[in-house]
Amino acid sequence: MATRKKKILLVPLDPVHDMGLKLIRKALADNGHATTLLPPGLKVHEVVEWIIKEAGIEFVLVSRTLGYRVGELLARFVDLVEACGLREQVTLLVGGMAVRPELAAEMGFDAGFGPGTSPEEVVAFIEGRHFTPWGKGEESSRKKRDLTSGFSYIYKNKGIERSLALITGEIIDWVSNKTSPGVERARIRFRSLREGEGDKGGGWEKYQDYCAGPIAQYYKEGRLPRETRTLSEDELRSLRQYKNWEGQSKIIRPGVVGPDIFIQYGTGCPLMDILHIKTGEAWGAAGVVHFDPSEGARSEGLLGGYLSHAQDGTLLTWENLRLIKCFLNPLTLWQVRAHRGLNTPETVVLAGEAGADLTKINMAYASLGAGMDPARITVDGVEALRWAAHYDLALDVVTNEELSGVPAHKAFAGMLIVAHLALQLGARPILQPLFCYSPEVMLQGQMRDNYIDFNAAKILALRQIIAAPLWPGAPIGFLTHTEDRVQSSVTTALHACLARSLGVQAISIASSDEAYAGGPIAAASRVDTLRAVQEGFRFFGSANIQPTPRAREWAGELIDGIARVLTDVANSGSFVQSLYRGLLGGPEDGAYPGRIGRGTLRRKEVEKDV
Amino acid sequence: MQYVERILDAVDIETFILAREEGEAKGLMEGYMADLGFTDYDIVFLEQVGPGVRARARAYLHRPGSPYGWLAEDDKGGD
Repeated sequence: MATRKKKILLVPLDPVHDMGLKLIRKALADNGHATTLLPPGLKVHEVVEWIIKEAGIEFVLVSRTLGYRVGELLARFVDLVEACGLREQVTLLVGGMAVRPELAAEMGFDAGFGPGTSPEEVVAFIEGRHFTPWGKGEESSRKKRDLTSGFSYIYKNKGIERSLALITGEIIDWVSNKTSPGVERARIRFRSLREGEGDKGGGWEKYQDYCAGPIAQYYKEGRLPRETRTLSEDELRSLRQYKNWEGQSKIIRPGVVGPDIFIQYGTGCPLMDILHIKTGEAWGAAGVVHFDPSEGARSEGLLGGYLSHAQDGTLLTWENLRLIKCFLNPLTLWQVRAHRGLNTPETVVLAGEAGADLTKINMAYASLGAGMDPARITVDGVEALRWAAHYDLALDVVTNEELSGVPAHKAFAGMLIVAHLALQLGARPILQPLFCYSPEVMLQGQMRDNYIDFNAAKILALRQIIAAPLWPGAPIGFLTHTEDRVQSSVTTALHACLARSLGVQAISIASSDEAYAGGPIAAASRVDTLRAVQEGFRFFGSANIQPTPRAREWAGELIDGIARVLTDVANSGSFVQSLYRGLLGGPEDGAYPGRIGRGTLRRKEVEKDV
Repeated sequence: MQYVERILDAVDIETFILAREEGEAKGLMEGYMADLGFTDYDIVFLEQVGPGVRARARAYLHRPGSPYGWLAEDDKGGD
């Protein structure tokens, strides 16, 4: 339905400045409204005379930077409008650098527009509609972004492709006659959710046979682990009734060009997580990542119920995931990580059933950086990749073993093996190089001069190997953050701008609490870095950061190193043995193959296809 | 509703405190937080440069999993 055209008087009640009003006048004119822009510096009685003279004015928008006695001046203007009997006829609006809605109301205005207001917001107000930053009627037509869209996954480096084909063929063959408690639980979970009543049918009674430790105890005795509690009905009811954060958001994401920004949530409590997610969405996050507790990855099996606990990371349960999903904006990308533990395949099933868009899998990292037994995680990882393909979940292949000291070229070799395996199994991988101040660069000095070249080299190298989506993480700027929130926000923003400049598809960012270990992340700290990144993107616009020639040199060295490692792994004839032997990162790098889940593999009795 | 119940999780207090070294500033900040009536607080950041210390203290009003004032209040007046 067409909006009726309005008549608006624009009043720069300021000695000199009227630039803001000029921008608003253009936006109003573009939308067909009739405007009159008065010259700056008029006295209030002269403005009122204009309102009387220009018949039919419906809105008066006054612009003024607040300062000494300006409040008095504006209030006098409102009083004079009233005294002349015009108050019922016109809607009075005020805008300027120090204007706040509550201040405008105090002075008698109908609305106030502070710094950062876009002309489109004013137009929306005048037209009596809710402001959506991406424009009239476009919200419903926007679609969630597919980070893998448009990527061919064609290899430019054929030698590396040949090595990967050999390695992944061997892996698929090696796992074919093996199973694990994790594999079996995933299948039970799938049947239970698909075929059972609620989540406890489809052979659910067998589930606990494949659990161990505190999880088995929970299913046998109903006792929750320490510091864990079930959320009450009252809490859940209150949450569902709580609507204050909806409809108030000024979502700043769509106006800014750059990679999709992901934040991690995982306060330990899904209720608090939901508030953090809504805050993140409002301040520009395009995606959110479920950060689960590291302890949960070391236990066979997952708990059930709406659970909160007083530790880092939010427990992975079917109920928690479903609850969080209910509150996600439909356009928000949702990743549930499955990359590092005994519940990898089951987590992918839960993610897929709960409606996630993305997951995270990397057997090399899980072995070398997260303590998993290489054999067990290889079997579970392949199963998880199959489930990711089944649910059409894109997955990032993270390379956090770099933080343990594994050089980038070895970490990338592991990443490419898993990515190639994902492609072989029908899944869609996203490469996740770290933008970090890693032990490798600390020792060898690649970042002695700047943080740009070596991070850029990683992107250049991967692009010369394969046409695949890139999602630096996780978070970008790892090990460059301090507890100073300004420093932390700035380093995040600069790494984000580098990522934007390199044209990657997504980034994961930290909060400004990244280096603070004394307590949970606060919502305000999430706003800090989201705000900083948006400001950085605004600053650079379509301009780029220019790496030095060293970036290309290092990219070449990275490719050579990756090719060498992959040749060694292929020649070894065993991916799992390569992990044990340190070909993808060993003791000399500070990485040791893990032991979690060792000895739990069994021979498959009957071949079952996912 | 008390104003503290509307604070989602934490209050940060940042200042520049005149002190000879960070240990002294830490004690001063802790004393200040206690005087303000906070019980669950921590010193997040201290950096001594020049005549004093840039400092940030944090008090948690709603830790994850604790009873949330903002949730309870909305339940009372919820729609």
